[in-house]
Amino acid sequence: MKFHFSRKQLCIPYAVFLVCFVLIPMFIIVFYAFTAPVMENGVQVGITFSFDNLVDLFTNPTKLLNMGRSILIGLLTTVICLLIAYPVAYILARSGIRRNAVLLLLFIVPMWVNFVLRVNALKELLSWIGILGASDFWNYFNTVLGMVYDFLPFMILPLYTTLLKIDNSYVEAAKDLGASAPVAFWKVTLPLSYPGIVSGITMVFLPSMTNYVVSTLLGNGKVGIIGSLIEQSFLNSQWNAGSMMALLLLVVMFVSTWLTGGFQNEDAASSRGGNLW
Amino acid sequence: MKKAPSLILASAFLLGSMATLTACEKPDYVLKVCNWAEYIDEGGKDGYDYEMTGERAAPIYKRFTEWYKEQTGLNVKVEYSTFETNEELYNKMTLGDTYDLVCPSDYMIMKMAAEGMLETYDSSFYDESVESNYYAKNLSSYIDSVFSAKEIGSKKLSDYAAGYMWGTTGLIYNPEIVSEADLSTWAVLSNPKYKNKVTSKDNIRDSYFAALAIHYEDELKKLAADYQSGALTYAQYNVKITELMNDTSDKTIAAAEKILMNIKDNIYSFETDNGKEDFMTGKVTVNFCWSGDGIYVIDQLEEEDVFVNYCIPDTASNLWFDGWVMPKGANKEISQAFVNFLSMPENAIRNTYYIGYSSVLAGDEMFDYMTDTYGVDEGDEVELEYDVSYFFGEGLVIGTYADQAKRQLFAQYPTEETLARLAIMDYYEPEANNKLNNMWTNIKG
Repeated sequence: MKFHFSRKQLCIPYAVFLVCFVLIPMFIIVFYAFTAPVMENGVQVGITFSFDNLVDLFTNPTKLLNMGRSILIGLLTTVICLLIAYPVAYILARSGIRRNAVLLLLFIVPMWVNFVLRVNALKELLSWIGILGASDFWNYFNTVLGMVYDFLPFMILPLYTTLLKIDNSYVEAAKDLGASAPVAFWKVTLPLSYPGIVSGITMVFLPSMTNYVVSTLLGNGKVGIIGSLIEQSFLNSQWNAGSMMALLLLVVMFVSTWLTGGFQNEDAASSRGGNLW
Repeated sequence: MKKAPSLILASAFLLGSMATLTACEKPDYVLKVCNWAEYIDEGGKDGYDYEMTGERAAPIYKRFTEWYKEQTGLNVKVEYSTFETNEELYNKMTLGDTYDLVCPSDYMIMKMAAEGMLETYDSSFYDESVESNYYAKNLSSYIDSVFSAKEIGSKKLSDYAAGYMWGTTGLIYNPEIVSEADLSTWAVLSNPKYKNKVTSKDNIRDSYFAALAIHYEDELKKLAADYQSGALTYAQYNVKITELMNDTSDKTIAAAEKILMNIKDNIYSFETDNGKEDFMTGKVTVNFCWSGDGIYVIDQLEEEDVFVNYCIPDTASNLWFDGWVMPKGANKEISQAFVNFLSMPENAIRNTYYIGYSSVLAGDEMFDYMTDTYGVDEGDEVELEYDVSYFFGEGLVIGTYADQAKRQLFAQYPTEETLARLAIMDYYEPEANNKLNNMWTNIKG
């Protein structure tokens, strides 16, 4: 039989990747999340189907508190990132400077520096200022600061690409029809940049709930977020409890993508700057 | 044709590496060794050989190949890898990684042995009359007694494990800032006087140990008094302390959780590695550390003319050790030869120099090395005869400066009278272990 090359076959590498590194691991996580080991005299003799992990996740006060804290940190980080990133992206998109070069310099170059290195550098800086581990308040403050520092580019870039694509004639038309500059921004530019905001939020919110490197280093090991809880579980061989928490994050991710219209099939996709990532 | 040079380079490199690959004969056996990171002489610029001769040597595990070939004619290659925590090693092994020789700590050795994961050492390994049994010949009698006294099922610890490094846990502090009386108990961790000025360890084992010592403070003090008065023998006292310090009853875990919460509020951080740095920069004044790290910090600060001490609280402390064990299916003969190779006096010194921890091995060479390192400089007067006879043998003392009684030498080899209050950590049954893990989750939140 003669081998016919078609474009479809170009997908094979990705399909293999998808099965090996996404689908199978996800299946394993679901499997572990809903099972529990059967112990006999301290030795594991089998596994059984169980909802224990799910029940524990939603009844264990520590885990609930931890989730609440993670969500709070994630929300704070997202809001602050948005407040900082939007004006920057706006100015960059509207300015006449050779944008690409500036953008590259300002936001991509710092990202080339290793992430752990950057967090450690920030840690040294905070400790030099004297607020590292100074009190519980500062532990939280530093954690959020580190998250913002880390995730800001992920907010700026989608916003920038969306804002860049907005046709300036819309704003001009609004102004011709009597809108003041702020009103034109509020009624035209902002709604049109919505896809960029949404993908920025998805890029920042979930990762900042789980980035325990930042919370451990900058929170002096005293700020526990769900990422550190998962790590702890796996380190202590509590595979089932850890998988359940990981599964919860997957569900949150899925729901948030769905709610923000990430699965819509319209041409909106092409205007969504988030596709950059 | 801009790409041509790099292509030529790349192919030249490929060809070159293939040539070296084919030049290297196929090894008769690949010995898989897994050890703590930075826990063996890696040669190079930090190695003992460079310090002594100015020549960079190969890592010790690579030298083994040569030595073993001389001994047996077999070509054995060592595949060396590292791990970060005992739990990580355990997980690797239970998930199917195979090794010939691994180096977990005390409680993990006992856990692995109890779960039937380990091979035992041959009795011939301990035969001191055999020339190449360097481990048996050089092992300190103190460590030997500890390893033979500990029972795991029907066997002894020494059947499963050959020691590597050992030490205590304690506190480093600057005597000019911190009053020694405050450090006589572990309660310093929750002492408001040191709010944000003291660190604890970011692992459940060490932190729980400290919490237990606080929980049982009165009992421990009473035991100490009984031992002083002679009502308890050394062995009885040690057994009782070890029992208390390994208590995992529900009531104790609950009490420890409260104590650890207080500790968390009081300390600067739970740390794994940052504590050394935080102590040296003065961010914290008391650092809960392993003796080996303590020595490192004392050495570092000494170069800046800052003199800090290491102490072991009066109530109790931990005697820890790491040991070489052979997982099931290991090549016992070569693994035991590897342990013996590491135990050759010059190699033991290389490792001790590189790691900075105390080797379980004694022997004349090690004693001379320690005397050279911590003894008085030529021409100086001996201020203190530091007794290390329990470790190195009858009558041996190191003539040193007075402050060594609280500094490096004390951290390397605690005084004989402190030994009685050192407890070894046991492994816990899965049920108790789960409770502890959950408790730790609550602490770390």
